[in-house]
Formats: sequence, C-alpha cells, structure tokens
Amino acid sequence: MEKSTILSVDGLKTVFQTRHGYVDAINDITFTISQGETVAIVGESGSGKSVTALSIMKLLESSGQIASGQVLFNDMNLAELSDRKIRDIRGKQIAMIFQDPMSCLDPLYTIGDQIMEILKIHEDLTPAEADNRVLELLKLVGIPDGETRRNSYPHELSGGQRQRVMIAIALACRPNLLIADEPTTALDVTVQAQILGLLKQLQADFGTSIILVTHDLGVVAEMADRVIVVYSGTVVEQSGVHELFSKPEHPYTEALIRSIPRADTDRTAPLHIIRGSVPGLHEMPSGCRFHPRCDYATEICTQQEPPLFHLESDRSSRCWMKDGSLAKEFQHRLNTDNLDSRHPAPPNDAYTASKKEILLEVHNMQKHFPILKGILSRKVGAVKAVDGVSFEIFKGETLGLVGESGCGKSTTGRLILRLLDITDGEVKYGGINLAEFKGRQLKEQRKKMQIVFQDPYSSLNPRMTIGDIISEPLEIHRIASGSEKIRRAGELLEMVGLSSKDVYKFPHQFSGGQRQRIGIARALATEPELLVCDEAVSALDVSVQAQILNLLKKLQGELALSYLFISHDLNVVKYIADRICVMYLGKIVETADSETLFTNPTHPYTRALLSSVPVPDPTIKKERIILEGDVPNPAKPPSGCAFHTRCEHAKEICKSKIPEFKQMSLGHKVACHLIN
Amino acid sequence: MVNYVIKRSVYGLIVLLIMISFVFIVMRLVPGDVVALQLSGAGAVSEEQIAQLRSELGLDKSVWAQFLDWTKNAVTGDLGKSLWSKMPVTTLIAERITVTLQLAFMAITMAILIAIPAGIYSAMKRNTWIDHMIRVIAIGGLSIPNFWFALLLIIFLSLFFGWIPPLGYQSFFSNPIVNLQQMILPALVLALSLSASIVRMTRSSLLEVLHADFIRTIRAKGAKEKLVIMKHALRNSLIPVITLIGLQVGFLLGGTVIIESIFSLPGIGSLIFEGVTKRDYPVVQATVLVYGALFMIVNLIVDIAYGWIDPRMRPD
Amino acid sequence: MNPAPQINPGLPNTSIKQLSTKRIRLRKSLDETKRFIKTQKIGVISLSIIMLFILLAAFAPLIAPYDPIEQDRSAFMLAPTAAHIMGTDDLGRDIFSRIIFGARVSLLVGIATVAISMICGTILGVISGYFGKVIDMAIQRVMDAIMAIPPLILALFIAALLGPAIKNVIIALTIVNIPHFARITRGEMLRIKEMNYVEASRSAGSGALRIIAKHGIPNMMAPIIVIASLTFGQSIIAEASLSFLGIGTPPPNPSWGLMLSGASSYMENAPWMVLFPGLVLSIAVLAFNLLGDALRDFLDPKLN
Repeated sequence: MEKSTILSVDGLKTVFQTRHGYVDAINDITFTISQGETVAIVGESGSGKSVTALSIMKLLESSGQIASGQVLFNDMNLAELSDRKIRDIRGKQIAMIFQDPMSCLDPLYTIGDQIMEILKIHEDLTPAEADNRVLELLKLVGIPDGETRRNSYPHELSGGQRQRVMIAIALACRPNLLIADEPTTALDVTVQAQILGLLKQLQADFGTSIILVTHDLGVVAEMADRVIVVYSGTVVEQSGVHELFSKPEHPYTEALIRSIPRADTDRTAPLHIIRGSVPGLHEMPSGCRFHPRCDYATEICTQQEPPLFHLESDRSSRCWMKDGSLAKEFQHRLNTDNLDSRHPAPPNDAYTASKKEILLEVHNMQKHFPILKGILSRKVGAVKAVDGVSFEIFKGETLGLVGESGCGKSTTGRLILRLLDITDGEVKYGGINLAEFKGRQLKEQRKKMQIVFQDPYSSLNPRMTIGDIISEPLEIHRIASGSEKIRRAGELLEMVGLSSKDVYKFPHQFSGGQRQRIGIARALATEPELLVCDEAVSALDVSVQAQILNLLKKLQGELALSYLFISHDLNVVKYIADRICVMYLGKIVETADSETLFTNPTHPYTRALLSSVPVPDPTIKKERIILEGDVPNPAKPPSGCAFHTRCEHAKEICKSKIPEFKQMSLGHKVACHLIN
Repeated sequence: MVNYVIKRSVYGLIVLLIMISFVFIVMRLVPGDVVALQLSGAGAVSEEQIAQLRSELGLDKSVWAQFLDWTKNAVTGDLGKSLWSKMPVTTLIAERITVTLQLAFMAITMAILIAIPAGIYSAMKRNTWIDHMIRVIAIGGLSIPNFWFALLLIIFLSLFFGWIPPLGYQSFFSNPIVNLQQMILPALVLALSLSASIVRMTRSSLLEVLHADFIRTIRAKGAKEKLVIMKHALRNSLIPVITLIGLQVGFLLGGTVIIESIFSLPGIGSLIFEGVTKRDYPVVQATVLVYGALFMIVNLIVDIAYGWIDPRMRPD
Repeated sequence: MNPAPQINPGLPNTSIKQLSTKRIRLRKSLDETKRFIKTQKIGVISLSIIMLFILLAAFAPLIAPYDPIEQDRSAFMLAPTAAHIMGTDDLGRDIFSRIIFGARVSLLVGIATVAISMICGTILGVISGYFGKVIDMAIQRVMDAIMAIPPLILALFIAALLGPAIKNVIIALTIVNIPHFARITRGEMLRIKEMNYVEASRSAGSGALRIIAKHGIPNMMAPIIVIASLTFGQSIIAEASLSFLGIGTPPPNPSWGLMLSGASSYMENAPWMVLFPGLVLSIAVLAFNLLGDALRDFLDPKLN
C-alpha cells in the first residue's frame, strides 16, 4: 500500500545574513512525506528544525533566504515560486501551526474574525456560508458554544483553547499538509495530551499529512510514522519510528535517546550524557558536526563531513561508521570503549530511610495574593496561589514538587526562601519558625538556603563578571573579599565543572547549560544546606539537561545537600527526587516516595498526569486518561475538592467538602474522598 | 466602568491639586511681588499705600488662607479677577482659549495626516532611498527649533513672495479666510516637530510589530502583504504612537507661547507669559489650571483610543 | 556541613593576579568603543561635531576674532564679508564671535541640566520602582503634576519668577526634565526587580541599596544614556526659547536664543542675523539627536 509522495525536500539550504556575514542555518536537508503520513523533525535548539519548516512555506524573516535545494509539492518547486503564487498555496494547501498560541494570534481581533479571514482569502463564500464554516470549525476542534466563543479575543482563552483556534485556522481550507512547529511545547502536559489527541483524530478524519517539528522524543514516539533527526542544521538520521527507538543508527540519536530520564530509568545510576553543547551557527565544527561531542569520533570525523548513507529498510544515517570501508577504524573504538564506565557513578545517596532527620518543616502554608479594585484599592478577593500546604524535607534528601503551570509550586519555593511573605501557616527550619527571623538573623539564615532558577539567561546579571556573580554572596556575608573572593569563585567554578579561568568572563560568553552551572556555583557559595531548584533543567536541551541532573546528584553526594526540586517534568522528578509531592491549584493532592508514586498513583489527578506524559517508546501504547478542560482560575477555585471539575470519578461529596489527607501506607498520603 | 472613571477623576484631582498648590505657593514665596510692581511707577510710596493695595488685592492674608479662599471660589467656578485689569479671569481665558485650541487642533491634525502615512511608507520601503530621506527629514524636524523655523518661513515668504500673514486676529467664525491665513503658518510650524516624532515612532513601532509571531500566522494563511500591514500590523503598532501623541501635545501647547508671540496671536500662551512677568497671580493660577485640565482631557482621549484599538485595554 | 571544597592544586593563580577586575572592565569598554566606531558611522560624526562645539566653547577667546560684547558703531548690521564672515548685528557686534561664545551658554545649560535631572530623576525613579506602594504613589503623582503642565510653560513660569539668569534657566529646565528620567528608570527598575538575578541576590541576603546599586542602575544605563543625549538637545532648544522670550540668559551675554530674539526685529533687512545663530543651534541639536539614535541602535540589539 505504497502511498503517493506529496512533498519532497531535496538538498535544502537556508542562509541568514548576520553582522558577521552569511551563516548556514540549515544545510542539505532532504526528506519526503507521503499522503496521510506523519513525519517528525526532531532536534535540539539551533538544529534548524524550525527554519526547515519555515523554509518550506517561504515564511523566513527578511534576513533569511533559501540558498539552494528544492521543495517539490505537486510538481511545483516552492523554493522558486513567486510571492504571489506561494500565497495561493499557504493556508490553502499547506497550513502551519506554531509553538506559542498566545503570541501567534492577533490580540486585537476576535477568534471568529481570524478564522473567517483565511476563508475570505482562499474561498469565495457568502457571508452566511462563511459564518457556518466558522462555527463548524470551532466545533471540530472542540471549542464548545461557538456562537458566543467566536466573539472572544485571544486573551480571553486559555493556552489550550488558543491552540485549538490555531488548528481551526490551519484546517479551515482542508490543506493536504499541516506543518506543526512545536505545537504543544508551551502547553501543560494534560493539555498537550488533549491537543495531540485532537491532531491525531483530525488526521484520521481528513487524511492530512503532518510534519511535526519537535524537540520532545516522547511526542515523536507517540505521533510519528517516520522521523528525521536533525543536528546543527543537517539531517543526521532518517528512519521509521519503531526502528529509530529500537536501534538508532547515528551516535547522536543513540545518545539523545539514552540521555532522557524515563519512568523506568535507574535512579541510582548517572544518566548518559552528551558532553559539551550544541554549537552555535558561527562556530560550526569541521568535518562531522557532531564529532566534538561523539563518543566514537575518529580522525576522519574531524576532517570530512560524512554523506547521508542509505541503509536497509529505507533508513539513512550521516555517520562514517556506516561506510563499510571504514568499519575497521571504528571497530577498534567500539571494542575498547565501554560507554557506561566512562561516566563516574554518583556517590550513594547520603539520604537513607534509616536516619531521617527533619531539616525543614512546612505546616499549612498559605499565600494569598490580594486582588485589588476600586479607588481605595480595596481587597475584593485573593488568588490563593498556595492554599494550605504541608510537607517536610529531610536532611540530604531530594523532595520533588510537581504540578502544572499555576499550581503554586514556584510560589511554594519562594515562600520557603522568604523571598515572599507567608500569609498563614509556618515554615520551620531546624525547628525554628522562619517568620521569627529578622534583620541580622534572617541574613544569617539566608546563607543556609539558596535557589537555582529555570531561565539561565535572566538569572545572571549581564553587567557583572562571572567572578563577581559567584562571589556576591561571599561579599554580602563578608566571608571573603578581594583576591580571596575571586579564588573562591574559581574553586566553585571547578566544582561545577567549569574552569577557574572563567571568573573574568561575562555571562553572554557562555551557553545555556554553562550558565546553569554558574547559577549552581553561585548558589553553593555560602555552603548552603538546602537548594531550591525551580525548574532548574526545564529550559535546557535534552542533551544538556542530563549533564546538569548528574551534576546536581554528584554535588548532593559530596556536600550532603538537600534539594527541593520543583518541576513540571514528571520523568525528571522521578529520576532525581526521593519523594514527590503532587500539587494542584495550590494544594498538595498526593505525597509518596517516587517509586510508589509511579507504580501506585492513587489520586485521580496524579493518575491522569502520569498517563499524559508521552513515553519515548513507540511500542508502549498506554491507556490515556484525558482530562477535560483547563486548570480553573486560582482566583475562583472550585468548591470542595478543587479537582472535582475535571475528575471523572467526582461524586456529590467532592463538590462540597474539602478532602482530608489520608495515609495510604508509610509516607504515602492522598487527599481524595474516593480513597478509603 | 463607573469605577474606572471615578478612579481616573480622583487621580486627576490629586494631580491638579499638587500642581496648583505648587504654582500658588512658589509664586508668592519668590521675591518680587505684584504690589511693588504696580507701585513702581508712582514714585515715593508710603507704607500705608502699600498696605492698602495689599488688602485691596487680598494679599494681606496668610498664603494658606489665600489658598483656601481661592480653592473655595474655584470649586464654584470663580477663578478671581486679574490684579491688573480687574477683569474676571474666566472672561480673559474664554476670550483667548479658542485661539490656542484652534492652533493646537490644526497642528495635530496636520501632523497626523502627514506623519502616519509617511511612517508607514518609510517602514514598508525600509532601507531604500526614500526611507532614508524620510528619516533624515524627520530627525531634522526634531532638531530645528520651531521659533527659528517660524522666522525663516516669514523671511522666506516676505522676501520671495512679498506675503506677510494679515496682522491682528480674526476669529474663524467672523472671517474664516483671514483666520486661516493667519493660522496656517503657526500651525505648520507647530506641526513640524510633532510630525517628526510621529514619523519616527510609527516607523519603528510598525517594524517591531512586523517581527511579531502573529504576523507570521497571517502570512501563513496566504494573506497579501497589504492585508498583513493595513489590517493587522498597523493597528497593533498604533498604541505607542498614540501614547507619543498624548505626551507631545504638552510640548505642542508649550510651543504655542513662543509661536503666539512671533505671530502676535492672542492665545493663552501669551496670557500666561504676561501673567507671570507681571505677577498676576489669579491669571497664572487659572491658566495653569486650564493647562492641567487640557492634559487630563488629552489623557482621557488617549485612554479611550487605547480601549478602542486594543480589547485588552478596555476597562471591565 | 562539609569543609570548604578542596583547592584545585592546578589553579592558575598567576594568571588571575595579572588580571584585575578593573583592567577587565577597561578592556571591555575599549572593545565596546571600537565596536561603536565600527558600526555607528553617524554616531561618530555627531560625536565629532559635539567635540568641535566643546572645543569652540573651551577656547572661545582664542578662536573668536572679535569681542562678543563690545559694540562697534562703525560696523552696524553688515552683511557677511571676509572681515565678518557671518556679518554683524544691530549693535555692530560680530555674529561669528557671538556664536562661538554662545556655545558656552548652550553647553553649560545642557550639561548642568542633563546631569542634575539625570541624577535626581534616576534616584526618584529607582526608589519609586523598587519600593512601590505608597512611596511610588506619592512620587508618581508629583511627577504627573509636573508633566501635566506643558514643559515650556513650566520652565517659563519658573524662569520668569526667578528672573533672567543662566542659573535660573538651569533650575527651571532641571525641574522640567526630572520626570522623564524618573519615568524611564522606574520602568526599568520594575523590570529588573523581576529578574532572577535580583531574586538570587535577595536570597543571598542583599538589601535594597545593594540591589539598586549593583543590579539596578548598571542594567538601566542604556536607556538613561539615550534619554540623556536627547534631553541635551532639547535643553539647548529650551534655553534658546527662554532667551528668545527674554527670560533666559540676560543680555548682553551671547546666547543663540537671545541673538535670534534681537534679530527678529530686523528679519527683512538683515536675514543673516536670523540665519546663522539658528543654523548653528540646529546643527548642535541635530548632533545630539543623531548621537541619541546611534546610541539606541548600539545599545539595544533588538532594534535594527
């Protein structure tokens, strides 16, 4: 049942004009896609995956242009088409959806107007027909009550709904090909599951081909038929999805798949890493672009760029190892290298169940942000960002805090650090209530608790040298000054795997992963006992994320640190945390040690959350619990159990009574009425 | 909505109060007072005469008492009488404000009509010679002092065309042609720097919006460039332009002082100028109040325009 | 808690000693200057014009061919000649010499106004943005009140009350310009306050003063410099305007605005009296405006 090819990209090369002249954003991208097929283009930041998508549509910014290659669509070469002609194809035959649905809809027009617009451009409809089509489309993408919703503005919708509107626009003219550029990256995992489900269903209904651009291997495994792996602007591997995950042919693909933590990853072993970071466009390595980071690289890899070798079952790989004549050279390296042994195992956890000693105790902590209105700024309500949270952190342990955006997990972290003031409840550190600390005492206490942030860009002051950044805490506490200060900064840099010579550099000279290491070094300067890691690896590329996770584990062993690890990524939390708290709308709904939470999730929300996470393994087709709707507004939380509006098991009691925390087994607590 | 209006009015009143008390107090604390000025031509004056004039003008009370009196009267609409001409201040202002308002209105209209299209054109033809030319003219317009430009225009028209704007002032309703002949030059001069800044803001704001993600969505729909710019980019780029116009109206009103004096137009600019030099307290206070009120009105119009353009900025 | 981590024996102490933080900063600013010269041609040109004005002002007595104040009845309203390249005015004074000396007034007013209003405005704005709440409300309302009066009217009010003197012009223009700096720095402080590096610093125990001085102000220098450059040009115009109205620089001091004011009565008979002072004034303002634009391009990578 060979299906017809609808788009074939051949040797596509796109260049961008920069201050330093032209640089290649993508080079020699080649692939095809058939009718009804889903092809995933997967790669890390800077791999050129989005540029590829935009080049097909000729939607590049004015500084970018296609330098060579072909994009054949229905026997037309899109790369050479005039602006006028490509406009007839855009939206009509090839449509596109983008990553951030907030910024991708015009904020000044209603969604009905924006859907109508594409119909007006391509189809000759009477106003009544167009009206009907808009309502049809809204219904199709699962936006109920279209008659009123069409008059909503984008800012009045949730992220998930906005992405549904984007899909409605894309599918309005029934295109043959849909290009989805990171369509679910900006969304929460439960909403992602909804959107992926919708895309699949629409594809089944209309037979649309989908090019799915993503960095998430889980999404790839779930959606794709075939996969194009891109690295540094070029295709390194092309394969069917099953073959790719079972037997990756390119070292990059192999390393990438192995570096993602999964539910079944051994927590005691370090993660596989890819050393270094993705090269920037200006510093492209010679030869094979992956060679500086490749475990197998030999002489030839550094000198000559490999061609795309075609392998059996329609696969290809851009690696010299696939060149039969060179097999000998690599044989040697494959034999001597045992990949696992080269990465040092982290020391055993300082934390063991036997010697639990409480470091921090949170009791019924609340944070209400007032909603002010009127002339005198009267308080008319409150956003209950954190609404009665209790947990404890033991010495040397990692406590994971997971939940979707807006659940209050970051606020919790900041409350513990006293970066925000608590509305009610208490936080005891070493048995003393933190609220009692004032002035000097508070300053002393701050030495013991530090924070690592998500965004490696805004977390370092761009005007300060790395030495000044890291040693600022030393200066504040008068621990060290002058050359001693700089020497300490150098030591801290070495501790996090950078060079002590870096103290005189500025933040812009480092990559995201390196900046994250600098952020960690700064947090360690005062020799703290507790680190709050607020989405500390979420902004990093997968290959770099593993490095940082390993570093955090290593430091914990060496320095007997305790972590509060806040994340939305369940698999990452599973890997790093000893125990996990699941938050929903300002409350903890379930607490358990990580193994128990994953093997025996009990709260309906935890179960839904776990089932929503795409697994980077296409052979697993798990039963998915799709939650309806979005997270409610924390300013107006539902009565009773806050989750009852989305819970398929909700009963009468859930609407009226707030559930108590019930002990399931030792250390496993659940707040749900349905559990006995 | 009602809440919003009340909140705005309260803020407005606070601002006006701060403004007027500053003017009120500073004027009376700074050396050189109106009594001395009025008696300066009378030769030798006795203490009694001074005291008498002082109480005649109501200046014998403490500053606070004067301020309270004035505020009480101001609330009822009585802004006092000029200390020199003894005319009610409200009458003086009513006579002159139409001139200034007409001038400002003509200047703003001209500036908008010229500058916004020029800004759009400049952005669309980015980095072409015409874009460069528009930008050069714009920055030149910002740098040329308007009173010098006014003098040059007069010299140029009289030397080469022998034309001088008709002297005196006629209101638009009594003689529209003469009125326009008198007003067109000063309005043009005032419009120069305003349009220069509007051109620059329109251009840069439009270029910035053209980089926004949603513009790509619209292009991905297959829309023509005209639709992209005229329907989407332009409207999205108007907010900063309107903010700028709101702020620049202040500059423009300030500029009227000097332009009115060059073209001998009897507006409130020249009223306050005379008032300050002669220490005519009630006139100055009332005129400042009028400027403050104009500023509030402009702000209100700007806010309404925001809401009209951007649904996110509509008060709920 | 663990003891301090082991010192790496291979730590290159020597190289660290050689480089002091000051030298690193110096090198960075040198690099920045090179980049400015390379990428901002117009900026360099306008900077040279400004330098030229500064030199003219500094060495005015050496450069000016005539005394700017002394009147010469024999050289009354002469059109430009070789002896008087820009002609003479109604009192027989050499216009070129008066323009050169006038640069002193303009630059003095510009520098003083910009410096004082920048410092005061930044302090107010930063306090307003950092502390918020009541302090912010109070400062903002006062700024609103100042801005509610058209700037030239306010300057005129203050200058006219205080009497014609350069010092009074500076006071008036400073008050007028403070809100511009206060507004921009308040916005910047609000933005920077939300940055993670400020949170990191707070969690390390630093107080308001340190955050403002180390993190706040260094990161808002770019907009401050741009506004300062534009304000400089506007202040020169404002000084000329006040002098034109007769409430700025007192006669017989040479000021460009004053010269234009005197010239306006002889427009048709002696147009050079109007032309040259205005032209020089416009060139000076243009130079500052162009410099402001160039700095904006240079300092804000987002703009094209």
